Amino acid sequence: MLKVDKINVYYEKIHAIKDVSFEVNPGEVVALIGANGAGKTTTLHTITGLIRPESGQITYSDGEGGQLDLTKMPPHKMVAKGLAHVPEGRRIFLQMTVLENLEMGAFCKGKASKEDLDNVFARFPRLEERKKQIAGTLSGGEQQMLAMGRALMSHPKLLMLDEPSMGLSPILVEQIFDIIAELHKSGTTILLVEQNAEMALQIADRAYVLESGHVVMTGTGAELAASEEIRKAYLGG
Amino acid sequence: MSFINNLINGISLGSVYAIIALGYTMVYGIAKMLNFAHGDIIMVGAYICFFVCSGAGLSPILGILAAVLVCTVLGIVIEQLAYKPLRQVTSLAVLITAIGVSYFLQNAAQLLWTSNPRIFPAIFGNGGVQLGGDLTIPYKTLVTIGACVIIMVALILFTGKTRTGKAMRACSEDKDAAQLMGININSTISLTFAIGSALAAIAGVLLCAAYPKLIPTTGSMPGIKAFTAAVFGGIGSIPGAFLGGILLGVIEIFSSAYLSTELANAIVFLVLIVILLVKPTGLLGKKISEKV
Ligand SMILES: Nc1ncnc2c1ncn2[C@@H]1O[C@H](COP(=O)(O)OP(=O)(O)OP(=O)(O)O)[C@@H](O)[C@H]1O
Ligand SMILES: [Mg+2]
Repeated sequence: MLKVDKINVYYEKIHAIKDVSFEVNPGEVVALIGANGAGKTTTLHTITGLIRPESGQITYSDGEGGQLDLTKMPPHKMVAKGLAHVPEGRRIFLQMTVLENLEMGAFCKGKASKEDLDNVFARFPRLEERKKQIAGTLSGGEQQMLAMGRALMSHPKLLMLDEPSMGLSPILVEQIFDIIAELHKSGTTILLVEQNAEMALQIADRAYVLESGHVVMTGTGAELAASEEIRKAYLGG
Repeated sequence: MSFINNLINGISLGSVYAIIALGYTMVYGIAKMLNFAHGDIIMVGAYICFFVCSGAGLSPILGILAAVLVCTVLGIVIEQLAYKPLRQVTSLAVLITAIGVSYFLQNAAQLLWTSNPRIFPAIFGNGGVQLGGDLTIPYKTLVTIGACVIIMVALILFTGKTRTGKAMRACSEDKDAAQLMGININSTISLTFAIGSALAAIAGVLLCAAYPKLIPTTGSMPGIKAFTAAVFGGIGSIPGAFLGGILLGVIEIFSSAYLSTELANAIVFLVLIVILLVKPTGLLGKKISEKV
């Protein structure tokens, strides 16, 4: 579904991503884990075109035939192809209402349909209670729900989540991961970037470990969770 | 002149400032730049209307339409040629470019139309509405105030209710996130410049209907004042630009009527400084802190 092939990304002179390759197959949950500054966010930004790679290929197929070269596609065209990206730090529109944020999520569809809104509200009842509220006044957990709800409004085929657990209490983290599992069950392919390696490896079919811009390890979620190195480096023993 | 007359003149002048300030504030909100050439678009609009009405003798409606059309295109072209290539560079470079564009427009106007003053025709007639006593409100004043109110209401509805308008607000908050929603940043910025410049054209016509001396620098001072009004009201805020514009016009007219004509501008800026000291985000400016 998504194939990242030997991409290299620079910030001026900083070589942030070095020959990174990985794949996401339809129906999978793939986790991308790694320490602060490993290049996880940069990788996602490169996929959605907010940053362009110096070299390498990124191809995406939406399951309807045709391979799209994402390195050449303008970022605003991607969401219509089923590629949704919930960026690090949520990046909801803080001065707009909850409802308006969801409408922006459906921008590529034209108008937000009542059905889609109801779907999101069914998943996140909190959002329905607060739909007239200015998003900037939501709690951190509610903001994360809004960010995910907003992405769901576009009917993503591949949902990319950048640290959805960031700054949330353990209960909320559980809740967010439950929702990810549900989305997966309902057929959404997921690329999950996480600091919380433990949770991420539990839910992931496969995972890649990123270390200072390199992919240093890959395997199934269970394999990596059992690996000595990973336990030492990311799981606290 | 009576107090009421001064007040009406103040609101009328303020309406012109408000219309210009609305353009300033919208462009600032989206492109995060101070388009110092905005004032000179006003001047271009006024010249176009002048030539269509006085030169070709066509109807004022056509004059206004032509001004709006030319300025809209001009605004889009300026953005594409001068500002778009600078999206990724420091805002200081963009600011200097905007000042350059401003001088360019003034010099081009001087070349094309010379610096001899033109007397703008009384396109709204010389009459007015008699309100009893010696109080008459000229038609041009009514048109100016009416236009300002209509424009503000239209903009509030546009940004608050329409899909495109909401996308514009999304862009003004977070361009990357807006792109991830499928919003085309380039066309949104172009649209903003188009709207801002169309408003500047209307402001130019209204300004010259009230103060008919038209020269290539006609737009500079009102442009700076309108920028002040936008900051006054809270830059980025549409009702703020409206309120700021009206207040600025009223303060200016009152200062020159009751205090000193020479010091009117100084007083306007003094009031601005005091307000910004008390409320740094302007009258209606707001800042919501980001939660982590
Ligand atoms: N805009 C930027 N300009 C320069 N360097 C950057 C920029 N963004 C990221 N970097 C650098 O690129 C490297 C990778 O950053 P990235 O944000 O991708 O890390 P990350 O794996 O997402 O980390 P975290 O878990 O802390 O979010 C870091 O060394 C970072 O300092
Ligand atoms: Mg990150």
